Amino acid sequence: MSGISPLTSIARASAVAPPSGVTPSSTLLTGTAGAGSNSFGSALTGAVDNLQQVQNKADGLAMQAVTGTLANPHDYMIAATEASLNTQMTVAVRNKALEAFNEIMRMPL
Amino acid sequence: MGTFDILAISGSGVNLNRTWLDSISDNIANIDTVRPTSEAAYQARYVEAQAVSPDAAQPGGVAVTGISLGSAEGRLSYQPDNPMADAQGMVRMPDVDLSEQMSQLIMAQRGYQANLSVVQRATDAYNAALQIGKG
Repeated sequence: MSGISPLTSIARASAVAPPSGVTPSSTLLTGTAGAGSNSFGSALTGAVDNLQQVQNKADGLAMQAVTGTLANPHDYMIAATEASLNTQMTVAVRNKALEAFNEIMRMPL
Repeated sequence: MGTFDILAISGSGVNLNRTWLDSISDNIANIDTVRPTSEAAYQARYVEAQAVSPDAAQPGGVAVTGISLGSAEGRLSYQPDNPMADAQGMVRMPDVDLSEQMSQLIMAQRGYQANLSVVQRATDAYNAALQIGKG
């Protein structure tokens, strides 16, 4: 089971991911047997948490832009670019992990 | 160190150059501001910048540490027909050199563009990295 548990925590983390507040509570990861603080699951949860922060920053700047209180236009553009790149990377990591999981599940027994 | 630190670092550079552009435009706008000799002249604004040393909290970059002001004495100019002139017909003009400001304007503009160019290239590079193994 310990081989698959990082993948299950990915699925859980990505299910909670973007819209609502991400709470990387320890209950999400307690299933990971023998997982240190640098396990794949916690790395991914950290990435999702970071993604949430970056998205929030971009959202806040977008709100300033539409209300006319944005001091520096480039601030928003850079934050939006960073948010987009972060999202793409998190999704890419999730897709790769799922691909590996599916490959294992297709293994003939 | 985050994954996309280049964006934050270049962003701080863009911010610095933006502040520099602001102060240059202020200096040029006030280049003809006349004051009576009893008052201080318009003081040119100069941006103070300092490198940010990278640590756990911040990736590095540059920060605006303050704005220093130029000479308050300015240049004394003989303009007897000016309503602000004193008994000797003197007024105080700001000690701002237009050609110097224009050169700085070019430097600030190029610096702004260079930092945005870094943002652009970094985005392209990151996108290329994210394409690895696709299709």
